[in-house]
Amino acid sequence: MKRREFIISGGTLAAAAPFMNFGAGKPLGKKLLVLGFDGMDPGKVDQLMRRGELPNMQRLGQRGAFTMMRSTIPPQSPVAWGSFISGSDPGTYGIYDFLHRDPETYLPMFAQSETTPSRMLVGLGKYRFPLKPGKVVLKREGPAFWDHLQERGIPATIFKVPTNYPPSDSQQRTLGGMGTPDIQGTYGIYSLFTSDEHESQSELSAANVYYAYIDENNVMEGQIDGPKNDLLKESEPVIVPFRVHVDNRHRTARIDIQGKEILIAEKEYSDWVEIEFSLISGLAGITGMVKFYLMEMGERFRLYVSPIHISPRRPAVPISTPANYSRELADRVGLFHTIGLPADTKALSNGTFSMENFIVQSLSVFEESRRLFDYELKRFLGQKEGLLFFYFSSLDQGQHMFWALNDRQHPFFHPEENRKFGFITDEMYRKFDRVLGKALQAVGPDVPVMLMSDHGFAPFRREVNINNWLAREGYLKLTYSDPGASIFDAADWSSTKAYALGLNGFYLNLAGRESQGIVSAGERRRLLEEIKGKLEAMVDPQDGARLITCAYISEDHFSKDFLHRAPDIILGFNRGYRISDDSALGTISRDLVSDNMGWWSGDHCVDPLKVPASFLSSFKIGKPVPDMQDMAPTILKYFGIDTPPTMKGKAII
Amino acid sequence: MASKVKLSKEADQKAEAIIAFHGYSSLEELVEDLIGKEYEKIKSGDDKEELANKLSGLGYIS
Repeated sequence: MKRREFIISGGTLAAAAPFMNFGAGKPLGKKLLVLGFDGMDPGKVDQLMRRGELPNMQRLGQRGAFTMMRSTIPPQSPVAWGSFISGSDPGTYGIYDFLHRDPETYLPMFAQSETTPSRMLVGLGKYRFPLKPGKVVLKREGPAFWDHLQERGIPATIFKVPTNYPPSDSQQRTLGGMGTPDIQGTYGIYSLFTSDEHESQSELSAANVYYAYIDENNVMEGQIDGPKNDLLKESEPVIVPFRVHVDNRHRTARIDIQGKEILIAEKEYSDWVEIEFSLISGLAGITGMVKFYLMEMGERFRLYVSPIHISPRRPAVPISTPANYSRELADRVGLFHTIGLPADTKALSNGTFSMENFIVQSLSVFEESRRLFDYELKRFLGQKEGLLFFYFSSLDQGQHMFWALNDRQHPFFHPEENRKFGFITDEMYRKFDRVLGKALQAVGPDVPVMLMSDHGFAPFRREVNINNWLAREGYLKLTYSDPGASIFDAADWSSTKAYALGLNGFYLNLAGRESQGIVSAGERRRLLEEIKGKLEAMVDPQDGARLITCAYISEDHFSKDFLHRAPDIILGFNRGYRISDDSALGTISRDLVSDNMGWWSGDHCVDPLKVPASFLSSFKIGKPVPDMQDMAPTILKYFGIDTPPTMKGKAII
Repeated sequence: MASKVKLSKEADQKAEAIIAFHGYSSLEELVEDLIGKEYEKIKSGDDKEELANKLSGLGYIS
């Protein structure tokens, strides 16, 4: 069956499944296991199932259901998992993209959380103390489905679901997932120490690069740039020095840091190393943790230091509910990645990692997740009732980076890399199938299991700069239009009608909303429809392919509660296309459409109809193609709870 | 420099509400705090740079 036929048919098995009405209001059982495999593509699952390579998913589907599932508009993880959590559409929980924009400044900002700085500072010597400390606020609005379970006294463990950092107030066991930053409040900045002079001079995104000078005693001095010390009047980063003793003969190194000695061999990772960043000597500090990766020794020395993660044992900011849940995990299973996007895709995109290095790291993240899952599964087995939701990130992050390995039409396809590493995507799916198999065996036939993703995957071959197009069409007026100019510097807002920001976001410069808005309320709808028509008519000058299959006017698709945060149009790109990095951050580039020449080669920030999610269950379902927002009502119904009025989704059992 | 500022009735009512909500001790304290924050915004011309730094680790954008 071709991909398109599969999608239209609503999957291979579920369409034929009889509707099973278990009766509303009565619990259908006491325990439920839900697995979230981010980015698991139903077409890929179907393909591998047909080859007999996913026996556990196949058995699960045959027992209950296997189908595609509607993702959200747009099909981005923070949005789609937000729908899972809320049982509704983005309008009710107010998350529409990884990036929103501040209508006051037009600048992009994190959509999932907001950091408010400390206030009312009192000076004392070289320090200043906040009387009102800063805080991080979750921007996802409304209740989570596990709140309703809590009201009924049903325990739930929610492991790393995206769009839950900082975790919303709860008595349930929840751990923050995608959206959790590193200790500096970023998505993750790594360090590279290299003896390659040329490499040491490179300016890389999301990286601190240092020249590694190894002295006559084979010692290298390095440093870790920690968080900014905002208690100082002149804020500066806290630096932690370390020393590396290089032993080229044995291809090993010893790293001395804060009284600890860490031994690692070439091509090996260290365990997690906790680091204290002192803010006021002996009085105040923050604990972070890193991993060292000794990438090369001998002729060229290269040492990678991971982004500084929040320590789950001593979190500087809340990452779990209750607060000691993350400590429990660290004590029982060991320290673990806390950054929301744990695999360092930037290191591969930057060329710091080879594909082999990235695969090693990805597998290490996967193994760590598996160990944590084993712990939670065992705990779940000992419970008399409750829900376990467990999230895995590796399929998603892997497919972003592995896509070009097997896509001969991709401009970044390398035959040599294909020969060496072309197996990896299928292997990742097989690994996840084994995770499912182990879980099914552990819980037995009496505990229902749901397995779901948030979106599928598509090639990202060509990138589109929508701000270029807006400028060409006259909707975006620039005072100068050099390639590389940013709309924040170059836009003439007094005559600009529209701009694009984020991965699928398109905004009108609306009077009364944007600080320098000019589009009137009366003109708004007509303009949206005019632009929608033009966007959907755009074609790739290279081959005439449509760039955008649907430009979704937000007010036609979302609930009104938090519609004011939404882009006015969500751009639904055709398969093969995505917004360019430049355009996402408001930068003008030379070309409207250009080849994507990087390892970030697969994506899903497209038209949601092009990248449906996957759904499998051990029970039959009553809807051929469920929706993300149906998941929460389904879980609640299983536990005998009627769908709350805040939820737009419908139970599928 | 000590300055006197005349507020409209509406602004005065809003200020009272903010003072009550956030626990400022006086109107002067509120005004000083707001001025401090606005000044920080102007002074930190590296806002955009810091923002770019914060977003740079997001794999979706280079």
